[in-house]
Amino acid sequence: MIRQLQQYMRCWMELIDEIGKITKEKIMGDNMKKNTILIADDADINREMLKTIFEEQYQIIEAADGEKTIEILEAKQNQIAVLFLDLIMPKKSGLDVLEHMQKKGYMEYIPVIMITGEATAESDEKAYEYGASDIIYKPFAPKVVMRRTKNIIELFEGRSYIKHQLEERTNELMESNRKIKKSNKFFIDTLSSVIELRGLESSEHSRRVKCFTKIIMNNLVRFYPEYNLSDEDVRLIVEASALHDIGKIAVPDNVLLKKENLTKEEEEEKRKHTIYGCKLLENLKQNDDGFYQYCYDVCRYHHEKYDGKGYPDGLRGDEIPIWAQVVSVVDCFDSLVSGRVYQVPYAVDEAVRVILAGECGVFSPKILDCLEVSKSELFQAAELELSYAGSVEN
Amino acid sequence: MTVQECYKTVGGDYKEIMSRLMSEDLVKRFLEMFLEDPSYLELLEEMGKNDYEEAFRASHTLKGVCQNLALTELFQISYQITEALRGGNGQEAEKLLPDIKKSYDKTVAAIHALLDGTDR
Repeated sequence: MIRQLQQYMRCWMELIDEIGKITKEKIMGDNMKKNTILIADDADINREMLKTIFEEQYQIIEAADGEKTIEILEAKQNQIAVLFLDLIMPKKSGLDVLEHMQKKGYMEYIPVIMITGEATAESDEKAYEYGASDIIYKPFAPKVVMRRTKNIIELFEGRSYIKHQLEERTNELMESNRKIKKSNKFFIDTLSSVIELRGLESSEHSRRVKCFTKIIMNNLVRFYPEYNLSDEDVRLIVEASALHDIGKIAVPDNVLLKKENLTKEEEEEKRKHTIYGCKLLENLKQNDDGFYQYCYDVCRYHHEKYDGKGYPDGLRGDEIPIWAQVVSVVDCFDSLVSGRVYQVPYAVDEAVRVILAGECGVFSPKILDCLEVSKSELFQAAELELSYAGSVEN
Repeated sequence: MTVQECYKTVGGDYKEIMSRLMSEDLVKRFLEMFLEDPSYLELLEEMGKNDYEEAFRASHTLKGVCQNLALTELFQISYQITEALRGGNGQEAEKLLPDIKKSYDKTVAAIHALLDGTDR
């Protein structure tokens, strides 16, 4: 059984590795070069002068008026490395073109170099105000125009490359996350079924624990916002709660399934299921993995008590992570209402009363408060939605 | 006629154009294109219709072209006309029309002489 489990784990780790590799390859292999220059000026000579500067290295498209310029932008925006734009043109002016580009969001990735005859501070300011990247003045000095244009194109290429890279990376990470979530679920299901196969718990038990954990967590978030737990945190904690007893697969059957009272040594061994669970999980640790932390805490601390009398570490008070405290009270509650420990199932009301009275050990006042306000929801879930048929262990 | 002589005749700046374009062939190519540029005729036409807005656009284009070709004299007159029309002053622009006609005709004649005398 353990061998089977190890095999599952190996598959899981390999999958994560593979996802990482694919992500890297995709980012490195991108090519973003654009090779077209659009020249918009109403005078043939002016366009021709710019064209002679660039035609060896770039594809040139010309437009003699604003309307034509917009038309070309609409058709080829993704190929245009830079737009030279004269302000005063027939049909639509350079300003109309800029307005159109702004509205369509083209200014983000197409640099615009304004062409102007007079170098006044006023007209320069106006051009920049409209989002131009640079200005060139008539008469055109080819070397200067070439240098400035190349600078602008490189700047924009670099900028959009970085932006593109970020977007890609975000998408890839989201995809990896999705896959990891999927494999996490696969892993939890596997572990749960290992426990079930060994006859230690029923699948009903983990279903119930998740359901009760969700109810109490939701009330905790609602009434004690200071814990700062997001919906995603709650979702992960609920998933983690199903694993609280996985360490039991490492406890010998003669201890775990013994009907009579346990000896002191046997009791010690049984309590180690909290530690065994953590050891199992340690093999799966990833960086910055919130889910791992929740699983670890739930496995290790779900038998700790608020007064420090629990095990394995004897933590007290809020040294015990709040999610472990929640799973702890849920575990007690379920053992009462399912009858898996006391033979005769308790009614929900009675089970809550017993826990509040401290008969299952000491819990934090906040946890008890959450249990109490959850009573009707727990009743709803326990009596009406979750079936106990077959859940009482033979 | 050489390119330099042509520029001298029309009141242009030979040194300036050569410092930018570096080649007489290229200068000639652009001067030839100048003969086809419609903005001068458009300016006369729009002035005739008293459409000062369109006349402004035409003189603005002519001014830019002359600036790029270092045709200094023609540039200066078209600059004055452009500024007059920018302020909506059609009368002042009107007064400058004989000057620009004289300069334009002289320029076109010199370019023809240059092109005919060389590679035609």
